[in-house]
Amino acid sequence: MRKFVCTMCGHVYDPEVGDPDSGIAPGTPFESLPANWTCPVCGVGKEDFEPQK
Amino acid sequence: MYNVRKIKENLYWVGANDRNLANFERIIPIPRGVSYNSYILLDEKNVLFDTMDASAGDLFFENIAHVLNGKPLDYLVVHHVEPDHASNIHRVMEAYPEAVLVCTAKASQMIKQFFGNGFESRMMAVKEGDTLLLGKHNLTFVLAPMVHWPEVMVSYETTEKILFSADAFGTFGALYGPMFADEMNFDRDWLDDARRYYTNIVGKYGTQVQMLLNKAAGLEISLLCPLHGPMWRENLGYFIDKYQKWSTYTPESEGVLIVYASMYGHTENMAEIFASKINEAGVKELAVYNLSHTDCSYMIADAFKYSRILLVAPTYNNGLNPLMENFLHELAARFIQKRTFAIAENGTWMPASGKIMRSIVEEMKNCTVLEPTFTIKSALHPEQLSDMDTFINQFIHN
Repeated sequence: MRKFVCTMCGHVYDPEVGDPDSGIAPGTPFESLPANWTCPVCGVGKEDFEPQK
Repeated sequence: MYNVRKIKENLYWVGANDRNLANFERIIPIPRGVSYNSYILLDEKNVLFDTMDASAGDLFFENIAHVLNGKPLDYLVVHHVEPDHASNIHRVMEAYPEAVLVCTAKASQMIKQFFGNGFESRMMAVKEGDTLLLGKHNLTFVLAPMVHWPEVMVSYETTEKILFSADAFGTFGALYGPMFADEMNFDRDWLDDARRYYTNIVGKYGTQVQMLLNKAAGLEISLLCPLHGPMWRENLGYFIDKYQKWSTYTPESEGVLIVYASMYGHTENMAEIFASKINEAGVKELAVYNLSHTDCSYMIADAFKYSRILLVAPTYNNGLNPLMENFLHELAARFIQKRTFAIAENGTWMPASGKIMRSIVEEMKNCTVLEPTFTIKSALHPEQLSDMDTFINQFIHN
């Protein structure tokens, strides 16, 4: 599963870890995050993430 | 008239103090004022580090002109685009048409959002590790995203080992003559405001501050130049240690913070008796605040300082007193962690404030919320004192 990087603040979404504070279980691929999921650090939406190079 | 300070050979403070602004960000009271620090480094290429709040406009330009003394301004380095530092960017670019604006790509986008595209062709975007040779001096740029905006960077001058640290290591409090922390009794006179600044402005972003501290740990720093408050050239370890604690949500004291709201004084009476009894039980370090009287920025700061927090509030509209509710939401927004909470409530017919306080603090990470809630109906009475002792004993030994 690919990691995704927030282009605003640099936060890395790691699907292995998920985002437990927002109720996202470990093992959730970025593509499966709900549309209203936001960056836990700076608050921008999914559209501002890109695959980690 | 200009009012500039020589910080060291070729480095000048061209900032200003603000003792007029009542509330920083028009939210947080600053009874001791605040300084907007801006610096000029003279070399073969002359650099201005950040501009400042709009309120200081004319003085700022007199300061710049005095230090440059006819020499050109080659670069304006913008570490942070928040308007208390960035309000004069367009005026600097107009007054010094040869100047190139140096900032991160994200900052350049924000600058366009604030000021339009008028000087887009004179902006130079820098990335992590990029350098700028000035002559004898050489700047290396280090990104510091979310400390406390996404576009932030800091600059490290490698020849004299100066770190221009943006909002990191800043504090409320206007400068009053002395410019360096080692000329002041910082621990006595400034630390509380430094903590209040950090926790309220940057507190939420502990993880990102940790990333910056880890980068800075590899640098030898002889002079620290923040955007607010005194500069540091001695005993930097003292302040860095505070930042380590604050950014990892590690308490500085095992003492107790009591925050209360009270409409007619009965809940206040309970809070006062709690303070007396907690002290009698052996706790030496306590702080007690009345939410009706003191701005909650002070309590957020002390929530970062103390390991134990006692919340005391009455029921209101069958819910929670709104001052306490606001405080707890403000505290939760700073991601406070690793604390022990105890809850005391009051209600005349149906006490409900405790349940709501509990539901908010239970969401906080790595926190313990003591059971049960201590409840009074209307007023505290002597027959409840032994229950109170049991409650306190559990709280201070948790």
